[in-house]
Amino acid sequence: MNKSRRIPAIIGAIPIVLILAAWQGLAMSGRVSESQLPSLYAVALRFLEQMASPAFLADAGVTLFRLFVGFFIALVLGIGLGLAAARSRFGAAVIVPLVRVLGPLPKVALYPAFILLLGFDHASKVALVVADATFPILLATLHGASTVEPKLVWSALAAGTPRSRIVTSIVLPAAMPSILTGCRIGLVISCVVVFLAEMITSTDGLGHQLVIASRSFITVDMFVALIAISLLGLVLNFLLGRARKFFLRGFPEES
Amino acid sequence: MISIKQVSQVFAVGKGERHVALSDVSLDLGDGEFISILGPSGCGKSTLLYIVGGFVRQSSGTVEIDGRPVAGPGPDRGPVFQEFALYPWKTVLGNVSYGLRQQGVARPAAEARARELLSMVGLSGYEDFYAKQLSGGMKQRVAIARTLAYDPAVLLMDEPFGALDAHTRNRLQNDLLRIWERDRKSVLFVTHSVEEAVYLSDRVVVLTKSPGRIKEIIEIDLPRPRIRSELLLNPKYQQYVIDIEAMIDTQPEPEAAS
Amino acid sequence: MRPLLRAPGMSALLVCAALLAVWEIAARLYGNPGLPTAFAALCELPRIFADPQAAFDILDSLRRMVIGFALALVVAAPIGLLMGRSPVAEALMNPLLMVVYPIPKAALMPLIMLWLGVGDASKILVVFLGVSLPLLYHSYQGARAVEEKMLWSAAAMGMNGAQRMFRIVLPAALPEILTGCRTGIVMGLITMITSEMISRQTGAGNILFNAMDMAQYETVYAMIIVIGALGILLDVCFEAVRARLTKWADKDADTTVAAL
Repeated sequence: MNKSRRIPAIIGAIPIVLILAAWQGLAMSGRVSESQLPSLYAVALRFLEQMASPAFLADAGVTLFRLFVGFFIALVLGIGLGLAAARSRFGAAVIVPLVRVLGPLPKVALYPAFILLLGFDHASKVALVVADATFPILLATLHGASTVEPKLVWSALAAGTPRSRIVTSIVLPAAMPSILTGCRIGLVISCVVVFLAEMITSTDGLGHQLVIASRSFITVDMFVALIAISLLGLVLNFLLGRARKFFLRGFPEES
Repeated sequence: MISIKQVSQVFAVGKGERHVALSDVSLDLGDGEFISILGPSGCGKSTLLYIVGGFVRQSSGTVEIDGRPVAGPGPDRGPVFQEFALYPWKTVLGNVSYGLRQQGVARPAAEARARELLSMVGLSGYEDFYAKQLSGGMKQRVAIARTLAYDPAVLLMDEPFGALDAHTRNRLQNDLLRIWERDRKSVLFVTHSVEEAVYLSDRVVVLTKSPGRIKEIIEIDLPRPRIRSELLLNPKYQQYVIDIEAMIDTQPEPEAAS
Repeated sequence: MRPLLRAPGMSALLVCAALLAVWEIAARLYGNPGLPTAFAALCELPRIFADPQAAFDILDSLRRMVIGFALALVVAAPIGLLMGRSPVAEALMNPLLMVVYPIPKAALMPLIMLWLGVGDASKILVVFLGVSLPLLYHSYQGARAVEEKMLWSAAAMGMNGAQRMFRIVLPAALPEILTGCRTGIVMGLITMITSEMISRQTGAGNILFNAMDMAQYETVYAMIIVIGALGILLDVCFEAVRARLTKWADKDADTTVAAL
């Protein structure tokens, strides 16, 4: 029943390789036109071209800017509110029902309101990122901060830590595993949301690149924009995962 | 030093029911005294410790330390818990120097003192380890060093060796006595092991099950330093253990946990 | 008064009322036509539903969303369960899923429309893609968490691998799968609305942006309320179904924060 032999991790590459091969194969077979499915090779080439193009990089820069501004605001809000809800009964009484009600609401529905109130440029997109990314971070912080082992707090109190410093000195570090997981989710959501916002109201940014490409029927460019944002999300997810491992090197391994 | 007067502790459990953990407990702990609180599981002995530590407020009665009433936790009463409660995000050195840093001691001085203490508990060389890399016995040594670091007048130990295997437990009991002999702090030690209580203490307080009352306080008249190999053959020690075990055995069978 | 306050959903209602009140006050203070009062927005609601075109449009979208969801359930849940119990399946699929995770599914809409046209198929496909990942992930986690000892006793009783999968793993993982459904349907709604805002053809998302283009601000906010209410409704319904079907589940075992 138990297969205890080690499975080489490399087999995980098989589905990916198969898909890429099928893509290239289909493109080369002549059954589909260049504008429907550009070859893997053509897309890769164009991607490298765009990476060297200042216009494209400028758009990428704009996307990154909105992404990070939104994420950091969400970080501050999420952790702040999460800690407040975990450590104060009044905080919990206000924040938890709010989160329960606003959670399932598709925040993207608020985008037109943000546009009307904040304009078509950065602010409305950043607002949407904040609206979407705050929730996972808040929930993760709330969960982490409310499951801190009380003996840790007691030890600190006995050692002379003033109550006002308990949250920053003990609760926050102890909740880090949960918070950092929430941050990973929040960061990927930020990537996705900023791109989609740029697609919906297209002024600049990587999402805008995809929209112009689709309007001009340049399929290759559509692929490049999609790959750019996905790669960005992948890299940021990976980096945050590594950072998390580093910060939590003292914590016991999670299952 | 510590004066516990008529302390009672009542918990509300479930639908309006009350569980009397402690009832009218009075006890005095003198300077440099090592007292064990003994009783079966669930008899409120940990609760008494938490009340003295200021982590839990008693329902009635007073607890005073050096004449002043206890008003919350503080560095004069240092706890050591069964679950170790080490800070996983700090190294061993970071854990031990934590209390000193909280009191405003500069990092170099705090770390120097921490190293001294780690050497005293036999963990020199482990300063940069993290808690997860240590065995249970080592973790408890770190916990003890951490509490000793801020030099509390009283040590509150809550079944500190309960989570360890018998062999490690013996070693740590000896280490505890060795460390205690240096400063002779007052110690309030909670345990459910009669042998441990007799081996370590000057006095043993036997608590009854709920409602927890003091059944008996026994003076342990055995020579210090206590050497295990000698004591095990000492008829006086054996008699203490037999008598106290009998005291606990005459209590009614524990009810099923509510 | 106290028991009334603790009635289920009461705090949610209070929150909604409070939000509407704050909105109303802010709108009056701000005095910008871009932020109509809550009252004005609410008054628009009957008008929207009275318009048969709009009502059918929204229902049509929901129909496609449900089909996309159902397809995702049928495809993603079994894969997730398999991954949870078979180390080979897990090793095979994990890297692929990690690569697919950061791709914005609604952003595939232009590409999908290029391939499948503007009909139902592309809209259903994009919802399918948006729902599959959360559903798969929850099924995977649920299957992983099934106690080994349960499967051992089943094997001792003579059940083979497939039987164990259906009769032990599936029921044991059901609470987590249903949590995945709850998350999934909300993701489906989000994906659908977003793709409608991108493709600008039909559906609630389209109505929303049309109203904005035509400066019918009350309609914009009324549609926001409609979509928000849809999200909350779906969430509540799926949670009720989950609680009903898995009454036997150990409450403590649900460590996902979706249990909030």
